[in-house]
Amino acid sequence: MSPLAPHYSALSLLRARLTPNHWKPLWQRARPREEYDVVVVGGGGHGLATAYHLARDHGIRRVAVLEKSVVGYGNVGRNTTIVRSNYLLPENHYFYEDALRRYETLSRDLNYNVMYSPRGVVDLANSDDEMVALARRGNAMRLAGIDAELLDRRGLVRYAPVLDPYLPRRYPIVGGLVQRRGGTVRHDAVAWGYARAAAACGVDIVERCEVVGLRTAAGVATGVETTRGYIRAGRIVFAVAGHTGQIGTMLGVPLPVETHLLQAMVTEPVKPILDTVLIYMYGHAEVYMAQSDRGGLVMGGTLDGFPSYAREPLWHRVEEVVQGAVAMLPQVAGIRILRHWAGTNDQTMDGSPLIDRIGYDNVFLNGGWCYGGFKAIPASGAACAKLVATGSAPDLIRSFNLGRFASGRVLDEKGAGPFPVRQ
Amino acid sequence: MEEFSFHKTLPNVEGSDFEQTFLRRNDPSDSHEHWQHRYGCRAWLYVRRNPSSGEVLDVRCLTGVPR
Repeated sequence: MSPLAPHYSALSLLRARLTPNHWKPLWQRARPREEYDVVVVGGGGHGLATAYHLARDHGIRRVAVLEKSVVGYGNVGRNTTIVRSNYLLPENHYFYEDALRRYETLSRDLNYNVMYSPRGVVDLANSDDEMVALARRGNAMRLAGIDAELLDRRGLVRYAPVLDPYLPRRYPIVGGLVQRRGGTVRHDAVAWGYARAAAACGVDIVERCEVVGLRTAAGVATGVETTRGYIRAGRIVFAVAGHTGQIGTMLGVPLPVETHLLQAMVTEPVKPILDTVLIYMYGHAEVYMAQSDRGGLVMGGTLDGFPSYAREPLWHRVEEVVQGAVAMLPQVAGIRILRHWAGTNDQTMDGSPLIDRIGYDNVFLNGGWCYGGFKAIPASGAACAKLVATGSAPDLIRSFNLGRFASGRVLDEKGAGPFPVRQ
Repeated sequence: MEEFSFHKTLPNVEGSDFEQTFLRRNDPSDSHEHWQHRYGCRAWLYVRRNPSSGEVLDVRCLTGVPR
């Protein structure tokens, strides 16, 4: 942690409590300068983490994060806070495992409580075939040294008594795959923690500054046109989850990306009934649920099923998620939905992310996170920063290149083919 | 809305099979798609939409496609 940042400790909190007007803003809202070594477009989790690691790990401090709204307004503030590394393909599970390990120590690293709660993540099965699929994934994880347990119905009920087997359910639950180190992290805290840490390292965080164009000369990007003027930049990183396709349009580079909506909702606060994260496939749909520290049940489902930038919640998705929630936990049937929102997901054609150069040698893309963006932030920031700083992609993200589609080396985690809506 | 099922966006990049299969020019105001009236007459539809507002700009039945 930079010595420039106020260090939080029990003593500092007590001193703040006793001193009027002690609390200062976590970061200064900077005015953009004329030139930076690196401009990071996007003040979400990936952009802020990238800027932080550029400064901390590589000593590159003339960095600006340009955010068109305010820090945390985009997907980092709209997700359902779940973190896990229970992926099938090695390129994905090693990457997300790196992210999960970084989440485990992130509060200490940033000196900011991100509220990592390793309450476990359970994928439920309601048929023997689904158990076989989960066993396959669990074995792939264990072969990579990642924790995974396959539980039968009895073991599952011992692990999560809320899955009372005597409650009438539409579909039976026959078992599940558990990752005990998975869980939840407070999403806003991640954004604020990284913003504070990056600012303390000298990064300028410029809000209300939208990038509207790129300026180039002799085949090299020279800077970005913004709503607050032109800013020269030696290197440019686009980390604009939900708008990656539009960046491709801006640069004249078609991308293997479509933008789809993902919706989420939270109920009124109730007493603690769920101490783990449940993911449930039923029929053609999916629901996942966790209980926040404030007591609300946070849940979501599958994609809306058609390209959209609208960020508007749709009623039919509420119905589907609620049906799934009640099918999974009949005891939640009477709880009321309090809030409902949507975020835009950049779905790639194979369901795996993109961290690579785009269009120009000094322009980089960090995007295509589908619905796995939040859980990837710490690893994404560190790896992307290394790519930008050194020019060479670390092994962890070498497979997340744009060229994999042309070469046929796609990372089709779900085996769904080139259909983003099915990823 | 619930009666219809989105199938795919239509290729809008000219070039090799790979480019047509995997790459897209993402226009936030104009998307050309195939949908099906899955829970109705099961007709396949060409739909042109504005994906930012959701406005449907053009709809046509696709003929010669088995239901």
